[in-house]
Amino acid sequence: MKRALLATLLLIALFCILPSPFGSGGDAFAEELVSGISQDTIQITSNYTGTDIVVFGAIERAQGATGRGIVVIVRGPDEPMTIRRRDRLAGIWVNRDAARFEWLPAYYYLASTEPVSHIAPAETLRRYGIGLQSLTPTTIGSHHDPEPFRQAAIRYHQRSGLYAENPGSIDFLSETLFRTRVPVPAGVTRGQYNVEVYLFRGGEVVSAQSTPLFVDATGLERRLFNMAHNAPFFYGLACVFMAMLLGWISSVLFRHSA
Amino acid sequence: MELYLPVAEMSVNWLLLIVLGTGVGFLSGMFGVGGGFLMTPLLVFTGIPSTVAVATTLSHVTASSMSGALAQWRKRAIDFTMAGVMLGGGVVGTLFGVWLFSAMRRQGQMDLIVALTYVIMLGSIGVIMLRESLASLKAYRCGVTPSRRLVNRGWIQALPFKMRFRQSRLYISVIPPIAIGFVVGALSAIMGIGGGFIIVPAMIYIMRMPTNVVMGTSLVQIIAVTAITTILQATRNYAVDIVLEGLLVSGGVVGAQLGVRAGAKLRGEQLRLLLACLVLAVGAGLFYQLVARPADVYSLSEGVP
Repeated sequence: MKRALLATLLLIALFCILPSPFGSGGDAFAEELVSGISQDTIQITSNYTGTDIVVFGAIERAQGATGRGIVVIVRGPDEPMTIRRRDRLAGIWVNRDAARFEWLPAYYYLASTEPVSHIAPAETLRRYGIGLQSLTPTTIGSHHDPEPFRQAAIRYHQRSGLYAENPGSIDFLSETLFRTRVPVPAGVTRGQYNVEVYLFRGGEVVSAQSTPLFVDATGLERRLFNMAHNAPFFYGLACVFMAMLLGWISSVLFRHSA
Repeated sequence: MELYLPVAEMSVNWLLLIVLGTGVGFLSGMFGVGGGFLMTPLLVFTGIPSTVAVATTLSHVTASSMSGALAQWRKRAIDFTMAGVMLGGGVVGTLFGVWLFSAMRRQGQMDLIVALTYVIMLGSIGVIMLRESLASLKAYRCGVTPSRRLVNRGWIQALPFKMRFRQSRLYISVIPPIAIGFVVGALSAIMGIGGGFIIVPAMIYIMRMPTNVVMGTSLVQIIAVTAITTILQATRNYAVDIVLEGLLVSGGVVGAQLGVRAGAKLRGEQLRLLLACLVLAVGAGLFYQLVARPADVYSLSEGVP
């Protein structure tokens, strides 16, 4: 009797440690992802020059590191964008053709355990919008091939540090605990961002979690931005008044010192 | 050292911008110009979007013209009637310029229009100034006082709607001042300049105003046009950044006062020769950007116009 009990316990323990041979389709033994971020809002203050956030997570009921892939994506708000191509016209570089995209994220950062093409097939990546090459927005009223324009948009954002793919940048603190540092540069737009964490096994998503992240201006910056957009006439008047006042003050100061 | 600009939505080195404002202010005080034609390209070189650069530089010009105008006003050397008439054309020109600015921005041709206008204006004015200052320097060396070429005023006198400008001791048609005001207003909105380097020669050579009132009257005209354009740019294009303005203006007004003192030590011809070289250098730099192969032929603008 005692021996039978021991054998059962051993069997259960083995089940927990070894990867399940029966697949992981939603049974009680499936791996599950729990993740969090170091801060859920980023405040743009007057001395904001970019910051780092830390995305961390744990895998519950982990089934070993082999064949496992983790992808962390931080995505900014989608915005419509226009890409223009310059051509030489009478010796001068002039904007000629343009492609208009319905949406492109203002910010896109991807961290993964290895290059995403090794983690899952292209079809799966496209379905989940994983990787810069999976950003395939609809074009509006474009008569030519939008692909080079799309590539140019990705290149442009990569140069300004707003788009990045960083394979191999996820640190494992233990078998099941991981974290990654996400740089948020100075040029980010305000709005709601999304932090998405995916756990892949055998090229399929086993578990995923999404957490919102807010980027917003505070204090004076926020008030000035709002005033410039909500009361532009008075804002303009204030700008003119300030210029005239400073001009007058300097002339008074220097008249007496001269 | 970094400061966030709320409208341009970017971080900049505030010390660099104060130094830039002081430097341009110094030159503008020395040469008696607003300095917009230097400020806008320099801001674009530092990475500030050209829409914000054009719209915000105007306030820098307002401020540096303000102290000059106050000095002239104390000397009673301002023809307010003339300034008022020119401003009539200026307001219409400004409206037209800001409209053109938005339309070009929608078409993606704003940068091109700004650069082309700059190259044409700076190139032609630089060459004229260079020739004129070299000629007068040569004449000075030979000990001859240069005689000012007289522009034939016949066609100006033939125009209708004549009006008396008491301060300028002129009785001329209102058409030339209105036309000049219009052109300067439009250029002010497109280029982010006050237009002093167009108004002053036009007042002297076309309208033949006495030199003692030219400076003050043109400054009043510049203040009014840049103030109106700033408000229009703020309401139509949301392109004025008050933090950037504060940085540029605080440097600019101090630099301008120092520049006036430095300028007093140099002779007029030498000053104009230096200014001509500066104008040509900026023009050549902008021209090179137009013809050189860009690093990336693609460019991006947010939004679907």
